[in-house]
Amino acid sequence: MSIFTPTNQIRLTNVAVVRMKKGGKRFEIACYKNKVMSWRSGAEKDLDEVLQTHSVFVNVSKGQVAKKDDLTKKLFLNVSMATSYHQSPVQYSLSLSDILPGILAKGELQVSDRERQTQLETMFRDIATIVAEKCVNPETKRPYTVNLIERAMKDIHYSVKANKSTKQQALEVIRQLKETMEIQRAHMRLRLVLPAKEAKRLKEKLKPLLQVVESEDFDEALEMVCLVDPGCYREIDELIRCETKGRGSLEVLSLRDVEEGDEKL
Amino acid sequence: MGHTSLDKIIALQRNPANIRNLCILAHVDHGKTTLADCLVASNGIISGRLAGKLRYLDSREDEQIRGITMKSSAISLHYRNGDQEYLLNLIDSPGHVDFSSEVSTAVRLCDGAIVVVDAVEGVCPQTQVVLRQAWLENIRPVLVINKIDRLIMELKLTSQEAYTHLQKILEQVNAVTGTLFTSKVLEERAEKEKIEERESGTLSGDQVYDWSAGLEEADDSHLYFSPDQGNVVFASAIDGWGFSIQQFAHIYSQRMGIKTEVLLKTLWGDFYLNAKAKKIMKGAQAKGKKPLFVQLVLDNIWSLYDAVVTRRDKEKVEKVVTSLGVKVMARDSRHSDPKVLLSAICSQWLPVSQAVLSMVCEKLPSPLDMTAERVEKLMSVGARRFDTLPQQTQELKRAFLQCSSSENVPVIIFVSKMFAVDTKALPQNRQRPLTQEEIAQRRELAKQRHADRMAADQRAAENHKELTHSGTPQEGQPAGVTQMESLTLKDSKPAEEETFIAFARVYSGVVKKGQRVFVLGPKYDPAQALNMLPEKYSASDCVPEVPHLSCCSMESIYLLMGRELEELEEVPAGNVLGVGGLEEYVLKSATLSTSPACPPFTPLNFEATAIVRVAIEPKHPSEMPKLVRGMRLLNQADPCAEVLIQETGEHVLVTAGEVHLQRCLDDLRDRFAKIEISASKPIIPFRETVIRPPKVDMVNEELGKQHKVAIIHQVSQPQSHINTLHVDPSGLVTLTTPNRLATVSVRAIPLPQEVTRLLEISSELIRTLEQVNMSLREGKNLDISLSTVEAITELKGQLESLLQGRKWRNTVERIWAFGPRRYGPNILLNSVEGYQRPSVWQCLSRGDKVGEAGAQATVLRDFDNSIVSGFQLATLSGPMCEEPLMGVCFSIERWDIQSSAIKVEGSSETTPQAGGIASGPSQARRRPDVSSADCYGPVSGQLIAAMKEACRHAFQAQPQRLMAAMYTCEIMATAEVLGRVYGVLGKREGRVLHEEMKEGTDMFIIKAVLPVAESFGFADEIRKRTSGLASPQLVFSHWEVISSDPYWVPTTEEEYLHFGEKADSANQALKYMNAVRRRKGLYVEEKIVEHAEKQRTLSKNK
Repeated sequence: MSIFTPTNQIRLTNVAVVRMKKGGKRFEIACYKNKVMSWRSGAEKDLDEVLQTHSVFVNVSKGQVAKKDDLTKKLFLNVSMATSYHQSPVQYSLSLSDILPGILAKGELQVSDRERQTQLETMFRDIATIVAEKCVNPETKRPYTVNLIERAMKDIHYSVKANKSTKQQALEVIRQLKETMEIQRAHMRLRLVLPAKEAKRLKEKLKPLLQVVESEDFDEALEMVCLVDPGCYREIDELIRCETKGRGSLEVLSLRDVEEGDEKL
Repeated sequence: MGHTSLDKIIALQRNPANIRNLCILAHVDHGKTTLADCLVASNGIISGRLAGKLRYLDSREDEQIRGITMKSSAISLHYRNGDQEYLLNLIDSPGHVDFSSEVSTAVRLCDGAIVVVDAVEGVCPQTQVVLRQAWLENIRPVLVINKIDRLIMELKLTSQEAYTHLQKILEQVNAVTGTLFTSKVLEERAEKEKIEERESGTLSGDQVYDWSAGLEEADDSHLYFSPDQGNVVFASAIDGWGFSIQQFAHIYSQRMGIKTEVLLKTLWGDFYLNAKAKKIMKGAQAKGKKPLFVQLVLDNIWSLYDAVVTRRDKEKVEKVVTSLGVKVMARDSRHSDPKVLLSAICSQWLPVSQAVLSMVCEKLPSPLDMTAERVEKLMSVGARRFDTLPQQTQELKRAFLQCSSSENVPVIIFVSKMFAVDTKALPQNRQRPLTQEEIAQRRELAKQRHADRMAADQRAAENHKELTHSGTPQEGQPAGVTQMESLTLKDSKPAEEETFIAFARVYSGVVKKGQRVFVLGPKYDPAQALNMLPEKYSASDCVPEVPHLSCCSMESIYLLMGRELEELEEVPAGNVLGVGGLEEYVLKSATLSTSPACPPFTPLNFEATAIVRVAIEPKHPSEMPKLVRGMRLLNQADPCAEVLIQETGEHVLVTAGEVHLQRCLDDLRDRFAKIEISASKPIIPFRETVIRPPKVDMVNEELGKQHKVAIIHQVSQPQSHINTLHVDPSGLVTLTTPNRLATVSVRAIPLPQEVTRLLEISSELIRTLEQVNMSLREGKNLDISLSTVEAITELKGQLESLLQGRKWRNTVERIWAFGPRRYGPNILLNSVEGYQRPSVWQCLSRGDKVGEAGAQATVLRDFDNSIVSGFQLATLSGPMCEEPLMGVCFSIERWDIQSSAIKVEGSSETTPQAGGIASGPSQARRRPDVSSADCYGPVSGQLIAAMKEACRHAFQAQPQRLMAAMYTCEIMATAEVLGRVYGVLGKREGRVLHEEMKEGTDMFIIKAVLPVAESFGFADEIRKRTSGLASPQLVFSHWEVISSDPYWVPTTEEEYLHFGEKADSANQALKYMNAVRRRKGLYVEEKIVEHAEKQRTLSKNK
């Protein structure tokens, strides 16, 4: 039992605690801030750059090191990364290098400031990219650039939610952006083939879903090429499948209908 | 000379013999605009005192701030030389490289040019350029050596030294002219030889090779500048003096009694005055005597400067002033700045305008003297020779040469540029002096107002009295105020803020206001039009159906007076004018004529092409339409700028250089769009591809022999959590859909380079092929032209010849689809055993098996399409940085849909499928699924996703590479800056392909390739580093694989030795890839903090 005196203390700064509960016991490890996420994503490969010290604590802030016994019993058996824990201290420390990555990878983490910041930034970018990909300027039928979308998102004070998927948020953003600028989801170009019998009836049903009907051709079957909002695709698909019992068909001609090539003004 | 009235100018316009159209050309900062100022001052438009400081023709604000001219602007001046009166249409041009397009527009309209050279700096890069431009347009130059005062005041040269210095400059200028001449002669000779060769191809028996380059025969003496020829003026425009040899010859012939002709010949050159013999002798240099020029001319100027500026000797100045016979005003002589006194003396003694203008009038040709050669050159577009033009057109040449202003001559006008003018500045809208009645009316109004106010004031005063009692607010005031407002509002009216005026010249005929003319586009062909149009067709008839021809009327015509415009009723031939109301018809330049036989003039030759690209965005996204409108206007207003909308939605502005860019942005912000904008680096496209596994490692050691060092890095690639994925060591990827009903196996194979190129070139053809196939699949027969079929057959043949070898056996027949977007440079290959599907080439052989294909088509449709869709998605965005793929072949080797799928789903369904298709062992069966109740969604959708994932994994199983877009870059550079050019190219990852010397000059032409990603700021850097002596031109050429692997980490022993464990030397491909990923918000494998210990410590001191 060491005496708790200033000379015996090792003070850690910039600590990020990674915590894991196993079998009613709490195990913590002391890491550097802003490093754990990098380790988890694989960018950081040096364990020493992540860990402040190679020891497992029960409570980092109090400096209570976890008992070997607890470690081996609770943690090892569950995490099952061990080689042979009961032989000698040397081998125990060896196996510690197996425990630590385990806790690092699975434990819960207080996300640090810069980690949070970069995460939100990349999500913001990602959302903007998705929006830019999905949308066009209805006047020119050309996409907006990501930069412009980002600026527009900042203008409407959109805040990123870290726990929602970017795609979901992108759809939300599109809805909000429509209020401030000329933006529209790029239409899908579909070709519908409806058997002659149901054609008339189905067409009435489909009508509200189709934005623009580009061509219509009625010989043996009704064939239509039309532009639709991508949100309606499922609905149209379902409608045609069910109503025609598989005889009608639906084909995606292009996922997004945009102007191609450069244009000189 | 007083202010010249408009009537006088109009009168002068009618006499083409006395018109001079000229422009001032020079390197930047050699004093063009200052010189122009002096000339303008001579007409009393500005004060002579302000000449050189005002820069009258720099009417833009940023021109004044930056102190450089940015546009060419014209002014008409009047000059009396003896008993002759002249009209000078003077065009000032910018000297900066970025605006050399403006110079082109100016040069085209002129017959002569004043080339200004700085006496200190001598011939600079732009001087060479403008001399070349003048040469190419066949206009005659005269020389002004400016800033002689700097030789005295700054360099402190003696008059003798100054003389040698001036001689050197003259030599330099003449050397440039000489090279232009030689290169032209050589070119002509080469052409002649070519023709001769063709002619004498049969009888090439005894050829005597002619060593002389033809230079000896061609006479070039008239081209050179020499003071004794009278085409050189020495000047200091800032101090307001300038002289030619003639002036001094006149003075001294009277004073010394030597004949003027003799003095003219000897005043410049190696002559000296033998005082004893009273004779002019040759060989001043050899005998160590002062040349005549120094003794008689320079010494006088030197002593004047010495007396006035350096020593400030009052008495001597008095003496000089009286001897020169000039009057100096008292306030000038008392002024503390000696320069004021100096210019007061000089501008009377040797007025620069006098010297320059008289030279111009004598030496430069009038519109009447236009050479036939120049006319032919103007009229024969491109490689067409003049004599191949139709007869009527050739007749127009006479009209040109006559430059007649009679009514029955066809009008020919050339518009060299369009410029925007504030509508308020137009003469119609300008404020003019009020007439008597108006003044009276206004006075009435004012009186009324005054009375009102008085009444109001009275009331207010009364109120005020009351106010002291009750504190109620006044009521009289508001009524008066509103009335005032309504009065001021009445005057302002809404209007278009910018009006476009065409900068043009009449070559023949008389232009009248409201006249209707043809606008001839650059591709207009008079021969074709003459056949189509009825005889005696005139522009006032209805709109004709001739390509590149339209009609318009000249709504207003103006006299250009610098920043002012004067409205005119008509302009006769040989004059420069402004035409309003053409913005709908003319984009940048055009030829206008009343005769449809007139050919369009040769396009302007621009010395600098637009190469600096930026993407422009409005600050507020909602202002996009304004930006587009503004960019359209800018495009029209600037002869050189290009604007385009790219496929990515970016609005790109292409300018000639950084200064030009700055001006364009300012124009957009303040004049055309009037919104806040931001300019940024344009998005750089990349492509992704795979290559064959390399045989050698990064240090060029063979891979096979070395044993790999154990990889100590943490394996970053997490094994796929989906256990439906299986990757074969040979690169075959097998993936099962989440509902485990369908399985696909895909392998990615790199396509040979030639195939990729072929596919890229023939993308249009493939597109039509796809369309044909699409309609065939529906059983419709689309009529395709025979030529298309031929082209497709040829493409197929080419592909077959390129795809040879064991690996590619029969591949062409098995091509399933192209991608992305169905016509890209990637191939989907059908290698499924026993799965027959109509090939993409079915349209070629449709005659024989249309029936069969039709039967299959209906069956295949659903799932076949899913696979293709998956492939299209995968090729559209690759796994490296979501950029499109290129040159990758995905071969599907196995494709099962388990029979359980059919059992579960479609018991109700029996389709006539299987028969022909599911014959092989690997049951390739497919059926439309009806129930989409599955939690994974419809099978077709799952299959798309599975196919896409499989392709991506197959791609990743091969060595991946990034492809960069490359520019070919042509650089013209002189020998002394060659090294620097190479330096800049090397720094920016450029590769020199070849260099060669241009015949007859000391210019090198270097051809190099440069990644587009490195081209931002390239033009600027290369200009800076070579002080403007090299000018690059960039054109997109091709895609090139970047050789380094973005995912590379050292693996072999040698690599460890060479790069170390981390290998943190720069990896170009990784850099590009990460930049793209970061831009798109994709995950970038990068540490947030590099060193854990080096973060800011947030602990408290304990």
